[in-house]
Amino acid sequence: MNTHMFKRVLATSMLTCGLFACSSLVDVKPKTAIDSSTALTSQEAVNAAVNAVYDALQSTDLYGRDLIAIPEVLSDNGRATNNSSRLVAEYQNQPGSHLINWTQDYYGINQANLVLDALPKVTLTDAQRNSYMGQCLFLRALMYFDLMKSYAYMPTAIIPEYNRGGVPLSLSGVLTLPQVLFPSRPGIDEVYTQILADLTTAIDKLGATANSRGPAYATKGAAQALYSRVALYAGKYQESADFATSALASGVGTFQSKTTYVAGWRTAVNPESMFEVNFQTSENIGVNTSLQTTFTTLVTLGNTATTGGFGDVVPTAALLADLESEKDAAGNVLDIRRQLYELGTKGRGAQNIETTKFLGKNGTINLDNVPVIRISEMYLNRAEAYYRLGREADAIKDLNTIRTRSGLTEKTGLTGTALLDEIIKQRRLEFAFEGHRFWDLKRLGRDIVKLPTNLPFTDYRVLARIPISEINNNRNLKQNYNY
Amino acid sequence: MIRKLLFNLILMLFSIMGSSYAQDRVITGRITSSDDGGPLPGASISVKGTTRGTTTDADGKFSLAVPGKPTLVISSIGFSRQEVEVGNRSTITVQLQSTNSDLEEVIVTGYGGVLSKREVTGAVSKIKGTDIQNVPAQSIDRAMQGRISGVQISSANGAPGGAMQVRIRGVGSITAGNEPLYIVDGVQLNTQNTNSYASSNPINFLNPNDVESIEVLKDAAAASIYGSQAANGVVIITTKKGKAGRTQVKFNYYQGVVEPIKYFDVLNSQQWVNMRTEAFMNANPTQSRTWALQQVLGILRYPAATIASLGENQLQGIVDTLKTYDWQRAAMRTGRVQNYEVSLSGGGERNNFHFSSSYNTQDANVVGVYFKRFTSSLRLGQKLSDKLQFEQSINLSTTTQGGQYASPNGGSFLGSAAFGGPVMVPTNAIYNADGTYANTPQSGGAVGVVSHNFILSADYAKITSITNQLVGSAALVYRITPQLTFRPTVNLDYRIIKGNYYADPRIQDAYSVQGRDSFQNEESINFLTNGALTYSHQFGEHSINALAGLEYRSDTRNGTSGTATGFPTSDFQYISAAANYTAMSSFWTGYHRASAFGKIDYNYNSRYFLSLIGRYDGSSRFGANNLFGFFPSISGSWLVSDEAFLKGNPVLTELKLRASFGSTGNDQIGNFDSRGLYVGGANYNAGSGIAVTSLANPDLKWERNTEIAAGLEYGIFNNRIRGQFDVYDRTSNDLLLQRQVPNTSGFTTITFNAGQVKNRGFEAEITVDVLKTSSLRWESSFNFSVIDNKVTKLYDGISPQANVDSLVLLTAPVQAGNTTVTRNFIVGKPVYANYAPVYAGVNPATGRAMWYDQNGNIVYTYQTPRDSKYLGSDFANIYGGWRNQISYKGFDLTAFFQYEFGRRVNNSQGVFLIDDGTRNVNTLTSVYNNRWTTPGQITDIPRPYNGGAEIQGSSYISATSRTIEDASYIRLKQVQLAYTFPKALLTRTKILQNVRVYAVATNLLTWTKWTGYDPEFLNFGSGNTGAIPQSKTYTFGVEIGL
Repeated sequence: MNTHMFKRVLATSMLTCGLFACSSLVDVKPKTAIDSSTALTSQEAVNAAVNAVYDALQSTDLYGRDLIAIPEVLSDNGRATNNSSRLVAEYQNQPGSHLINWTQDYYGINQANLVLDALPKVTLTDAQRNSYMGQCLFLRALMYFDLMKSYAYMPTAIIPEYNRGGVPLSLSGVLTLPQVLFPSRPGIDEVYTQILADLTTAIDKLGATANSRGPAYATKGAAQALYSRVALYAGKYQESADFATSALASGVGTFQSKTTYVAGWRTAVNPESMFEVNFQTSENIGVNTSLQTTFTTLVTLGNTATTGGFGDVVPTAALLADLESEKDAAGNVLDIRRQLYELGTKGRGAQNIETTKFLGKNGTINLDNVPVIRISEMYLNRAEAYYRLGREADAIKDLNTIRTRSGLTEKTGLTGTALLDEIIKQRRLEFAFEGHRFWDLKRLGRDIVKLPTNLPFTDYRVLARIPISEINNNRNLKQNYNY
Repeated sequence: MIRKLLFNLILMLFSIMGSSYAQDRVITGRITSSDDGGPLPGASISVKGTTRGTTTDADGKFSLAVPGKPTLVISSIGFSRQEVEVGNRSTITVQLQSTNSDLEEVIVTGYGGVLSKREVTGAVSKIKGTDIQNVPAQSIDRAMQGRISGVQISSANGAPGGAMQVRIRGVGSITAGNEPLYIVDGVQLNTQNTNSYASSNPINFLNPNDVESIEVLKDAAAASIYGSQAANGVVIITTKKGKAGRTQVKFNYYQGVVEPIKYFDVLNSQQWVNMRTEAFMNANPTQSRTWALQQVLGILRYPAATIASLGENQLQGIVDTLKTYDWQRAAMRTGRVQNYEVSLSGGGERNNFHFSSSYNTQDANVVGVYFKRFTSSLRLGQKLSDKLQFEQSINLSTTTQGGQYASPNGGSFLGSAAFGGPVMVPTNAIYNADGTYANTPQSGGAVGVVSHNFILSADYAKITSITNQLVGSAALVYRITPQLTFRPTVNLDYRIIKGNYYADPRIQDAYSVQGRDSFQNEESINFLTNGALTYSHQFGEHSINALAGLEYRSDTRNGTSGTATGFPTSDFQYISAAANYTAMSSFWTGYHRASAFGKIDYNYNSRYFLSLIGRYDGSSRFGANNLFGFFPSISGSWLVSDEAFLKGNPVLTELKLRASFGSTGNDQIGNFDSRGLYVGGANYNAGSGIAVTSLANPDLKWERNTEIAAGLEYGIFNNRIRGQFDVYDRTSNDLLLQRQVPNTSGFTTITFNAGQVKNRGFEAEITVDVLKTSSLRWESSFNFSVIDNKVTKLYDGISPQANVDSLVLLTAPVQAGNTTVTRNFIVGKPVYANYAPVYAGVNPATGRAMWYDQNGNIVYTYQTPRDSKYLGSDFANIYGGWRNQISYKGFDLTAFFQYEFGRRVNNSQGVFLIDDGTRNVNTLTSVYNNRWTTPGQITDIPRPYNGGAEIQGSSYISATSRTIEDASYIRLKQVQLAYTFPKALLTRTKILQNVRVYAVATNLLTWTKWTGYDPEFLNFGSGNTGAIPQSKTYTFGVEIGL
């Protein structure tokens, strides 16, 4: 007697007993989720799926903390205080203690890919379709760029013996096991080409998106700004300068004056932001790993009596020295950005000077929107690009825009490496504790001079380790050198 | 083949229903005991070849309706079974011979079935309720610990009523659950543990003293009647039932104290400052001791202006005045245990009842954690007619647990007393001089990593978890013919969990948000109905018992939870007063299962036994292509000692051989794991978002467990020495594994059938009547289990580790109580492997910590997993117990030892306690005394170094072989001394039937190499970090029967 017959007998006897109606009794559908194969078939669902791509960025592995804090502590800007013992290993550049954005970025990329795959099949207006496509491509480009920053060398500074290529490109959505691929690592250039291609399309598709959608959502200006940064990292200086110019003219983000700049860091949305990751009350990362707790023990400005977070990463002496390097005749520090640092509390051990860029500015402790691209960067990107293109006068002009806004005097007559060094120094001061420093040093191929010991550019620990499980489960994937 | 049999059986049963049978007559009789010739109450009389039977009353009398000229089978525990040809007689008198044999012991086998031990063909163990009476344990599983071979029971922590883990014959699953099926009076329990705020146990609803017996079905053959739920064995619990006769009233009361087993010896303030000073000097070799002392005093909040100008001696002078505060003894306490019980039990010709009610409270040995339970249960039997019998059982309970701060499973939470006790910097005061709390959040909190005054937190936080539960069943027994019985039942396990966690605004954790309240409301409805036909028939020496049935189960759960912050003052503790709603959620989940099952027991001459079982199960948890599974088994036994060649042998009194082969299934996975799903909650900027979070696997099917087992039951010297040996080979195939997929796909895992785990084991039980005189008895029972557990396969495509050992390793989530924990599985090794770098000690020249790299070279910096080695497993492969009971006149003394060997586990709390000055936590005195201080010194404790990792070195405060310890132990688990007042004395009172006084001590002595608080704990996410340790209890009680 075969199984089929047995099932029939079983079904019959169930009926006989009157206990059962039929075997479909063992079909229970989830009430809090929907089947993935048919999920993205309406405009509303697609819209919600686009939100999920942004949502992915809020992870602690990404803009929730790591992409902002770890580049600071791996480099020469941040010092780990050992208050909670978090990020100490990263500060010490222990092997494997680095960015871990691999899994979360690919998660977000798949969400974006699934929307992109669904767009042609769902009934949408052209405006909706363009908007969703533009947003998803912008976000996919951002996530691939963040992956490349961590796991691969940048095109401008490669150690060929250590180079294992870029990160695998996954460009179509995955819902079932047969769709799961075992990709290898393409060349670095191939990935940058893909990122810039995505951004080019995004800029086109976001053309009709209102600037008021920003900075929480992707706008044309944000895509142009990201293009400028990616191109700078890729050594495509003309494009970097051109897109910086377009971004500055886009109307997204407002360049702040000397008088409003510091106040801009006290509002939920920084007026300079061209793209920032929004956090709502229910998305509070909390006292262990939020940016506020990571960077400061303070709860409110100037109040050292109340201890909030751990203050795990504080500015190094070298960073403070750079901030204080220019003084007026009376010995007062000129740089207004120094006002974004102050003495923390004694609650977690020794008192330190801490940054107050993230101080619960959304109204609740540990809740801050996270700027990803600020408009000031466009001047500095362009200054550097102009310098590389040999246009030093233009470079100094953009450099001075940032310097004078910061309360510093105009520089004149800088040239050659001195000019580049001043641009890089202003990048350091402008974006300290915003997750730029490690990448700037890496793309320039510079050694990192820091405590407890230096990290030469030739050290394998400059690159992050690809998750071990990833290597174990994909034979085509090569681990980074020496891991 | 078996399916065919099952099919025929069903047809046969239906056809029999219509048949008629002969007229009945009534016979009466009396059964006496060979001991004293007196009446033997409670002996069972059955008509051979039928399910018809009765038991004798208090005078040893019975009456029974019988057909024709039957043969009666008369048996009673402790007596030889006898078969009597009644012929035409209408009254009979039979005397039973007493023996030590337990062959006539009744074994509950499921679906209303009972067998005598003689007839059992699979591996079944039984615990009598009397063995675990009055043990101060809140749940029955805790009381069962160490008492049965092949059943390993461990508590997650020492929280009263806390989570337990029961593993029958090893661990077969990696990701799917390893919990056995629990059945209480026919109700298949929902053993999911979902309390968020207290460590709880799904069988807390049952007062252990209400239990009559526990049967554990250990091998696949015995368990396979439960098919797909039985892969991890079955525990059948039967509660007490009323007996015919006068109504018995019983009061029971005990009370006592709970005490910590151990305290750590930690540093005083002067030692602590000295250690930190050294750490600063070692990390900053160019600086002076004066500078280092200034750093440490700065940490202790001495104003820089005051100390900057002081010299070394003056600074040391300040240090010498520092007081030491003992936070560990403030965190741990002596608590109280109390238990009140009353029961009424009785019955008449047509009915019986048993009612009991109890109230039990127990404190944990850590502040703020407690357990309170009220239970009430009623069991009724009513004879509706000669053919109809109604049985009902209902258990009501309400349990309130005071939960542990931050997490019921422990962890390194700064406000947790269990964690903070030993590691708090000792200079911090607990109270101010005026008795108010010191180091409050307003004053900046305590100095150091543990910045919370956790005594304050425990005092002000209100963490409760209330479980209200109803477990009830009703069954109708319809004797269609003397041979054929139909037994339909309905069962319900209904539970409401109400958790609340109010963090007062005065607590550090909630200070900056002005108070926080979180709640959990959950309802779980587990409904089960089944109907079984039983048929028994006898022809000549052949006897057949058959069972066929259908079953349906629906188990659903729904709930709401939320969090709000911003309370006006600490007087406002409900969310209605909160300013910010920070989280809000509701959910629904569930599964259905439908089954058909059948069983045929055949025996020839009560000497050769054969049993065939088959079950066909469908579960909604599986992929659309594989909803159903079939689980057959076959087993047989031979009662060798009843053969002519052995009968009456003076040495070998009893010998029985058993063998079985069976297949069972496991579906303990998430309800919707086979589906590809878009879930909500991926919100952004106040817009709702949906994200795909799982890969679809429409082929997902049952995890299949097959077992070959054999057993030998023996009795020597008239059963003065008796017991059993068992061997088994259990293979779990098609594991429900969380297989890893390349994360580049956007997913990390898929629930996938792959992999294999083997458990091969040997079990021994031996009981010896060491002394047996009329007044003095000493019975000694020993049980032993050894298991060879091995992961034999993972899945195709997983690469070996890229190091010299090239082990194939999978890190997979494992279900652990109300959470999941990631554990290592290595092909060829037992489950829960430790995989960590090996510590090479301290360089005597420099005091630096060293490790071995993958090739065995000594290095200062290791990389994981490259330099990791297999370092044993968190799986105890040897365990058991030893029980001694000595009775002399009215006194009886029980001493029970429990042991466990072979378990190696990371002492995660120890990682904090070996911290000699790397940061602001306290450490063990032994670590301080043995730290490296001078070149040439041979020690294994590195020099203190602020930050933990020396330049170009790995941190020495990490989980390496340094903290992976042997967690084996032998424990004097229970000592009980009781005195029962003589009957003669009591009868004079005319009221008292029974008075017994008793004293019980638990966890009195422990022998172990483990350096943490206690080796008995489970890794529910944080290892033993901040877990409430086991405690000692001393109780005294009295039992009065009226």
